[in-house]
Amino acid sequence: MSLIPPETRALVGKRLGEPVSATLSAREAERFAFAAGDTNPIYLDEAAARAAGHRTRVVPPGLLVWALEPPRPLEALREDGLWRDAGPPLRLPVSRVLYGGEEWEYRGAVYAGDTITAETRLASLEEKSGGSGAFVLLTMETTYTNQAGEVVAILRGQRIAR
Amino acid sequence: MTQSFLEDVKPGDPVPPLVKNASRAQLFLFSAATNNPHRIHYDRDYARREGHEDILVHGPLQGAWLHQFVQGFAGPRGRVLALAFRNRGRAFPERDLVFRGRVSSVEGDVVALEVWEEDDTGAVLMPGTARVRLPRRDTREGGRP
Repeated sequence: MSLIPPETRALVGKRLGEPVSATLSAREAERFAFAAGDTNPIYLDEAAARAAGHRTRVVPPGLLVWALEPPRPLEALREDGLWRDAGPPLRLPVSRVLYGGEEWEYRGAVYAGDTITAETRLASLEEKSGGSGAFVLLTMETTYTNQAGEVVAILRGQRIAR
Repeated sequence: MTQSFLEDVKPGDPVPPLVKNASRAQLFLFSAATNNPHRIHYDRDYARREGHEDILVHGPLQGAWLHQFVQGFAGPRGRVLALAFRNRGRAFPERDLVFRGRVSSVEGDVVALEVWEEDDTGAVLMPGTARVRLPRRDTREGGRP
């Protein structure tokens, strides 16, 4: 019996949720760079960014996913500190979803002050069986676009639902 | 930061390793910088309830370190074109985490790398691949964005 209900399988190829946008500040980029211990001057210094061929300070790409997450009220906090309803809006009869990995394609730099829009679609759903039973491998594809309509990055994120 | 050039790179070349070691305060700062309240990264009692011996280093922090490692190889005028990785094992604070890599191919001005993160027992926590565009030695200063 399939783990994937028909209404969930019908979502393959479709956009999940609404696009979200955020303007990335130099300050949040710095905070991320320092917290990661990555003091590459292109993230911190205008002159260094230009000397490396950029138009202004670069935002570390690792911040993208997080900067696009909207703030939520305390009522949305779960006991474990994760947010309720933060996962993809899909129905699967599983008890947990594990993070499988990421594939990033970087097409252009994200710069301090840019407004980035993220749009996610369900790229694929595959039912598999492994040592500990059946599971579903989900791949979601998020496209990040800047204010000029240029695609700056594409993320394919894998999740294992069992 | 040093700059690698296309002419100097060939398949099989190792990438100089990068060693990271996260303090507990750093893990807190990273949670703050990403607005991530997940208790597993700052609340040791909670992490133990979930079956972990200690708080965990964030997957995305390891991803950021992997990006730093690849960007370090690319240099200021190089560009990271792609990065892929899988989370295979858990990483803990106050333990050395080593990023290693090897050139797998050079096609045109694109260098493909095999990259990975090891913990202090040598276990591979995060296998991955990357693609980088490197400048040629004979181009003028400035590069292309």
